[in-house]
Amino acid sequence: MPLFDYSLLLTGKYHDMLVAGLLLSLQLLAASLVLALPIALVVALLRLSPLAPLRWLGFAYVETIRNIPLLAHMLFWYFGAPELLPEGIKQWLYAGHIEAYSAIIALSLYTAAFMAEDIRSGIRAIPTVQFEAGRALGFGFLSTMRRVVLPQALRVTVPPLISQTLSLWKNTSIATVIGVAELMYQAGQVESATFRSFESFAFASAAYLTVSLAITGLATWYHHRFPVRTI
Amino acid sequence: MRHTLLAAALAASALLTGIAAHADQLADIKKKGELVVGVLGTDEPATFIDPKTRQIVGYEVDLVNAIAKKIGVKPVLKQIAVAARIPELQQGHVDLVAAGLTHNKEREAQIDFSLTTFVTGQKAIVKKDSGITDVPLLAGKKVLTIRGGTQEPNIRKAVPTAEVVTFDTSQQAFQALQQGKGVGYVDDEAALLRSYAKLGPQKTQYVVLKQNLSTEALAIGIKKGESGLKAVVDDTLRELEKSGEAQKIFVKWYGPNTASGFQTRDFKLESDKID
Repeated sequence: MPLFDYSLLLTGKYHDMLVAGLLLSLQLLAASLVLALPIALVVALLRLSPLAPLRWLGFAYVETIRNIPLLAHMLFWYFGAPELLPEGIKQWLYAGHIEAYSAIIALSLYTAAFMAEDIRSGIRAIPTVQFEAGRALGFGFLSTMRRVVLPQALRVTVPPLISQTLSLWKNTSIATVIGVAELMYQAGQVESATFRSFESFAFASAAYLTVSLAITGLATWYHHRFPVRTI
Repeated sequence: MRHTLLAAALAASALLTGIAAHADQLADIKKKGELVVGVLGTDEPATFIDPKTRQIVGYEVDLVNAIAKKIGVKPVLKQIAVAARIPELQQGHVDLVAAGLTHNKEREAQIDFSLTTFVTGQKAIVKKDSGITDVPLLAGKKVLTIRGGTQEPNIRKAVPTAEVVTFDTSQQAFQALQQGKGVGYVDDEAALLRSYAKLGPQKTQYVVLKQNLSTEALAIGIKKGESGLKAVVDDTLRELEKSGEAQKIFVKWYGPNTASGFQTRDFKLESDKID
């Protein structure tokens, strides 16, 4: 019995399964990121809002989500939440890829809570005089944010956001528990079909590491290309 | 994983130096005074946790206890996941695996098996209103089952176009069926009937499809080449059969008065050959 069977990873059915898993993981990452960013921005603005009830709403969102493990979120959005929907919508959803949808919702909402905090910190890093200057020029809260504060804040925020993206990428693996055929799932399937645990998980680890390093590289590049302007 | 590499490296070096190094697992078990057995613990009535005593009990536990008694050591049950059964055994974390393990030709290359301890068919259950009355009608439909066992390959073999979604435990998969997240659920007949019985009055909404997806011979898994251990396991099982104890244990867990409700026992603990 060879120590490490490369052929398993390079060609054939098991290779295809692992690659399909990797592609699905990347899709989960992309879809969740696209959804999480706007939610995070809205939540960050809620937390900085001049209106107390809106601030509480933002606070409640961030703290509830951040303090419950992602695994629980995943199971809730798959086994729990959809059951509350009206029968018709439920049936329509269940006939489709409910596993992947639930995973994307759980991942987006979870990641958004962390990203919101990064964005909020970024906004708070901009001196208040900038905001006050905007208001003095006659802009409202939202316009001041949009025209004066956010363009500066987002530049500060991008490196931590990329770091959250890294966490999001690794977190996609938790979708396994609700039957989403992503990378960890497929590695497990290949293992149980072939008993070649080392090879299948080596593939998964190498794939996670490669994509993670690429994301880290992106953060470093951005940092050099767009340094934070001295305020 | 490191253990596999290490073991492989050791085995290779032993071969190179021409030393027929053979550690006898049975002697090790006697020395440490306990027989460590990997069980599922979530597979009623084979191995499950008794809600009152919080102890793992069941059909396979009774067999394992008999084996430990025969060797003269204490049985220690260790809960493992379906997919971890064979790796745990190969890496020596457990001495035996009694975890609804199907004995098949592919696995014979990896581990040894005891005499067949249970014979079951794998079946599918569907909701009545799905209109599915026969296995081939599952084509193109979403079918749910447990991960890491033979259920998934068997349903794929029987219905290649079925979209199979798998879960860590059979409870999760069955719950997904109840919620309508798939049209069918596949499992060993004994486990399936058990889940079916738990439905209570809702039973009428479900149908167990008659056709067997496969016939599974379950056995206790033994690390490859441990002939001493295999001999004592098989001897114990043969003795249980001869004394009528095996029949009693079967009736206790699967018989007519249990939720599984088997009227007869169609197999004997007598052979480790499979078709």
